[in-house]
Amino acid sequence: MIQAGLLLLLAVALLGAPLFALIATTALIGFWHEGIDLSVVAIEIYRLAEMPALVAIPLFTFAGYLLGESRAPDRLVRLTHVMLGGLPGGLAVVALVTCALFTAFTGASGVTIVALGALLYPALLRAGYPERFSLGLVTTSGSLGLLFAPALPLILYGVVAQQMRLEQPVRIDDVFAAGVLPGLLMVVALSAWSLWVCRRAGHVRAPVGWSEARAALRDSIWEIPLPFVVLGGIYGGWFALSEAAAVTALYVLVVEVGINREIRLSRLAAVMRESMVMVGAILIILGVSLASTNYLIDTEVPARMFATIRAHVDDRLTFLILLNLFLLGLGMMLDIFSALVIVVPIALPVAVGYGVDPVHLGIIFLANMQLGYITPPVGMNLFIASYRFERPVLEVYRATVPFFLILLGVVLVVTYWPALSLFFVRD
Amino acid sequence: MSEGSLPRSAAQASGLLHQLEDAVLALLLGALVGLASLQIGLRTFFDTGLPWIDPTLRVLVLWLGLLGALAASRDGRHIRIDAVSRLFSERAKAGVTAGTSLFAGVACAVVAWHALRFVGSEFEYATTTFSGIPAWALESIIPFAFGAIALRYAKRTVLEGRRALRANSDDAGAGGDPG
Repeated sequence: MIQAGLLLLLAVALLGAPLFALIATTALIGFWHEGIDLSVVAIEIYRLAEMPALVAIPLFTFAGYLLGESRAPDRLVRLTHVMLGGLPGGLAVVALVTCALFTAFTGASGVTIVALGALLYPALLRAGYPERFSLGLVTTSGSLGLLFAPALPLILYGVVAQQMRLEQPVRIDDVFAAGVLPGLLMVVALSAWSLWVCRRAGHVRAPVGWSEARAALRDSIWEIPLPFVVLGGIYGGWFALSEAAAVTALYVLVVEVGINREIRLSRLAAVMRESMVMVGAILIILGVSLASTNYLIDTEVPARMFATIRAHVDDRLTFLILLNLFLLGLGMMLDIFSALVIVVPIALPVAVGYGVDPVHLGIIFLANMQLGYITPPVGMNLFIASYRFERPVLEVYRATVPFFLILLGVVLVVTYWPALSLFFVRD
Repeated sequence: MSEGSLPRSAAQASGLLHQLEDAVLALLLGALVGLASLQIGLRTFFDTGLPWIDPTLRVLVLWLGLLGALAASRDGRHIRIDAVSRLFSERAKAGVTAGTSLFAGVACAVVAWHALRFVGSEFEYATTTFSGIPAWALESIIPFAFGAIALRYAKRTVLEGRRALRANSDDAGAGGDPG
């Protein structure tokens, strides 16, 4: 009976029903089955108004949309080019670094490919980079950087993990600290591969003159302090998360609307709405999943799940391998936000049962999800890139394969070497 | 959602409604940015703060989230798995969308009804929250938003269902996935 119901829900999900409605239905049926008054679902949704960390989500999202709407992406590419263009293969590294920085600020929503890929792809082709390499590079870069603060998935993982009543609660600044080295390893590994490809292809450097350097610097004078204020503020512990988000939103608003005047007031309302549509789509899923998670914990589903898995898998290593495979498949099917709120409540207690650190699990989870975005055949960024750059999706698959394999290597390192993630995490 | 298939006055009314929605979203977001910045300013420069700002910010998140979700349902932009719709013809796609919209509408209506009961009981017991504000007023956004989302999905069910049933699909090209 229960299996049949779950299969039915899965079918409705695959046919494209909104996920929040599916999660709400699961919670409603679950509570009804337990004989609990269904108004508990509303009480759980109201808990969205009781979590201070959530204040950061609309503020950072709004700031990210403002940046994407302004000419900040052009300036970011220009400035990074000044700094790195002198290296052989420099432009490829420019693409990786700018995308990582931009994704950290805008969340992983495909915005990076649309906003930055449109600038970088033609620039790479003009500079004589091979077409297939360039296509693979911009597709892969679209999800790079989601391990760096203040990326939304990191915040959301912390929020969801805090619902789990673990003995050792997960702190969001610990999750931020844990993402640094794995994120850097991804950027470095992809950069090294790019430099090697371009050395073999005999690409010349494109050094930049002093006058262009000065002009680029002057052009982005208002945006340059932003990463220092936000990242320094968060990693240095000067700001609470929500305060850093408020400072970012206010600063970006003043700079792009007031000083640079690239977003007119009439356009501002539309940008506000667009960013809140994204926030609403995430928060309503989080809200209903607070209810379903509560139901799962009350009925001890994670504990029973752990017992079942334990009966077949006895060591941590095998568990982690299975987890990798599962998350990779999940990352192909589900966007990162839904995957977080649906799967973490079950996977986290099981992983903790195998002795995996909850903060480390967060990084494993997100690194796998990032890879899932470019995993053929249905990784989301493959389709966004195919659509955006007007290339057949099969060509995008082929172009992305080497980058996929490199990131897969990094994800395995991140999974099986906990110290890399936990190096900066304070005890 | 293709407004062309509605009578003109209804389309105008729904256009006005959309503008009102956008304005409220902008207002609440502006309040969030403004109040959060004010609190930081007060703390940094005057070493003080207003006690009601932090809980207000958290309630604003709930309201922005649910009204944002309402705006997302306006043009079917809620997060979903889009795995099999590629395989269907335009007509079949409209039929499937009608079905999934019906499902979502019913789920939202059930949540809205039980949220309304919850808010009603809070009203009855006159529960108050920070600064003596009645709790039901802050909570009322839950039944409102879920109710309105249910109505949007009901409308979508009817429109897509009509498209699926129409024998000659001469406007199939104008449909597809909006937004």
